[in-house]
Amino acid sequence: MWLDEADGFAEIFKGYLPYYLLVALPIFIIMSPVNPVAASHEFSVYRMQQYDLHTVPHGCRSSSFNLEGRFLTSWSTSRHCVVARVQDVSIDQFMEIRAKAGALLLVLPKNDTVLTPEEKEHIQLLEMAMIQQEVNAPVYFAQWTPEFEDIIRDLQHSFITDDKSGTALEAMFNSVSSNGYQIVVSATAPQKMDSKPTTLHGKLVGRAGAAQTIVVAAHYDSNAVVPELSQGADSNASGAVAVLELARIFSRLYSSPTVRGGPSLLFVLTSAGHSLNYFSVKKWLEERLDSTDASLLQDVSFVMCLDSISSSTDITMHVSKPPKPGGAAHSLKGRLRAPVAHKKINLADETLAWPHERFSIRRMTAFTLSSLQSHKDPSRSSVLDTASGGALHNLSANVARIARALASHVYNLTAEGSDEDLALFDDALGVDEAAIKHWYNYLSSQSRAPQTVTTTAPNSGLTAALERALSRYMEVTVSVHAVDKREPEYTLYSPTRAILYVYSVKPAVFDLILTLAIVAYLTVVYFAIQLFPRFYEEYAKIVTGKAKVH
Amino acid sequence: MTLYHFGNCLALVYAPYHMAYKFSGISEYATFSKCVYAGGLYIFTQLCKMLLLATFFPDSDSAQLNGEYDVFMEILKATVDFADLLGLYFAMNSVPGKGHAKILTAAIGWASAEVLVTRSILLWVGARGSEFDWRYVRSCAESNVALLQHASAAALVWLWARSDLPRRHVPLVLALLVLAPYRALLEDGVGSVLSLSAWALLALRAAHAAGVGLAALGIYAVLAQQIGF
Repeated sequence: MWLDEADGFAEIFKGYLPYYLLVALPIFIIMSPVNPVAASHEFSVYRMQQYDLHTVPHGCRSSSFNLEGRFLTSWSTSRHCVVARVQDVSIDQFMEIRAKAGALLLVLPKNDTVLTPEEKEHIQLLEMAMIQQEVNAPVYFAQWTPEFEDIIRDLQHSFITDDKSGTALEAMFNSVSSNGYQIVVSATAPQKMDSKPTTLHGKLVGRAGAAQTIVVAAHYDSNAVVPELSQGADSNASGAVAVLELARIFSRLYSSPTVRGGPSLLFVLTSAGHSLNYFSVKKWLEERLDSTDASLLQDVSFVMCLDSISSSTDITMHVSKPPKPGGAAHSLKGRLRAPVAHKKINLADETLAWPHERFSIRRMTAFTLSSLQSHKDPSRSSVLDTASGGALHNLSANVARIARALASHVYNLTAEGSDEDLALFDDALGVDEAAIKHWYNYLSSQSRAPQTVTTTAPNSGLTAALERALSRYMEVTVSVHAVDKREPEYTLYSPTRAILYVYSVKPAVFDLILTLAIVAYLTVVYFAIQLFPRFYEEYAKIVTGKAKVH
Repeated sequence: MTLYHFGNCLALVYAPYHMAYKFSGISEYATFSKCVYAGGLYIFTQLCKMLLLATFFPDSDSAQLNGEYDVFMEILKATVDFADLLGLYFAMNSVPGKGHAKILTAAIGWASAEVLVTRSILLWVGARGSEFDWRYVRSCAESNVALLQHASAAALVWLWARSDLPRRHVPLVLALLVLAPYRALLEDGVGSVLSLSAWALLALRAAHAAGVGLAALGIYAVLAQQIGF
């Protein structure tokens, strides 16, 4: 046997092992998986919004990174991924990160944390600042988890800094005691998404004699800095729910020919809202007005857009031209008792302010009802725009108010109607709070970002659910719009989510120190073995000496 | 860097075994093949033990899901480890030469086989990853302690097998031998009672192994003087 011939380990090492290792090691390395160990932490993270509007880029432009994690205050180069809580990042800090850091990972506030109004405003302003320009580094958002809190705390109090430590010993101690984190996201490179926004509309036909049409419109998508987390409860689940509820109320009134109102009512739900410059409305109007069949929008009395109507019970009527006394819009204004906010259309702006401007451009009388005072309100595109009980209450009250104003306009009632009539009227216009609650919660329980809503087929998902709901009251037409191929009005990009791996690592110096420690240990073992015979002699003397005494 | 870390761990595991083999004088007996034989016996013994455990003991995974820790069952399972002592005995019988050569050859072969079978895969997969964990360094250090443990166990088995062992030492040898299979169980028990950290547990293991080793060495010295080694 060759083993017998070999004179111990050394012989084998000299003889066979080097050649054997030369073959075996590369095979081992090739065979073993690329990422041999699962990371100790895996998180679901959501990528920041990325879209082009009129070929102007917005948001985050890249998706993958593999960088060392650092806290907000201790990062220094583009080799670092900055990790921070959203509420801690100031806009100036973000601008610096945008310019220099390798990646940014933001942890959203804990769900049950009660944010002060200042904190909320700060986060909303930060979101606005983030989305205004493009960011070349990957930016990800993560939901709060206890593990993330630990990692952030670890990074925050980490000793790993690039500053020179006091002494070499101190630096050594620091590198042994502190934890570093390698943060890895491997996602597909950003790709254009095939976006097909949809518009739903259904008509309640009025009495034959009158040909006038009233349009009630709202967009049902939402917008926030993170597409996957844009629940958009106020903007604009509230508007979409209001359209559904108004459709239900008026379909009851219009069901029997005797109580049918004069003008026809057209309910419109569109799927690309303020973030994409009301693209669906624009396309839908083009298709309806410029095609041969223009009868649908022939004689529009006014267009009433509903946008963000759940933040308070005060409703403002936003117009681009003050309503003329005697006109239909003026009549409704009087019945709503809503203040008017006048803002001229500014085509030089990147996006239009309110949805009614799309209609106003096409020379229709149009206005937007909203609880917000200004279209610049940052809460219209915020991840903090989530469902709440108070908002639901406001929404019900506002829907009832709008329904009553609209009905009194349609039936041309005067304020001096008898109390009996009014009571009857209120009964017929009763708002179904359960339905409102159900739809409001359903819509605001999921992401309705354009990336989600406009990329699924119109016969599935949210669009289909809305279509089915609306088709209970009237016949619904679904129109699917396409973005221009050569000069796209907007482009959306995937991926919207990814898996984030966090590896706890030690700095490179640590391994050197470990080697030194191991060498020291082995030296001790070596001398222990060398000195063993002498130790044995002494030990045997003691033991046998004692044994003789016994 | 991670391959470097793997190298670090490997050095920590391998070097003490090599030094023990090289500088203890047994390499002069040209007994490398005997070491390999002891290693083979180790693997064979483990297979037999597994067969026994799989045949006669209930599935432990389902029981552990309930979070219950059945002490009696664990003790019974540890009893199967007496097979290790039997295996060591056979391994030593096959080695010619003096007592200390027998003991060391069997112990080094046995312990090396254990390292190769139980720790090499863990190290290869774990220590090379980009994730750092003290676990791997600790596991390497533990394998050094295991060498000491196996050496003392082999010495005890050798002593027990000698017919000329002084009578007054027999109870001590027997007691240490009987306790040997329950070593890990005892250490874990003490560790959990005192809620020791992993490093403290390692120190406890080392201290235990050193204690048993010194006792075995003392008896060996008495016997060696008696028979005139």
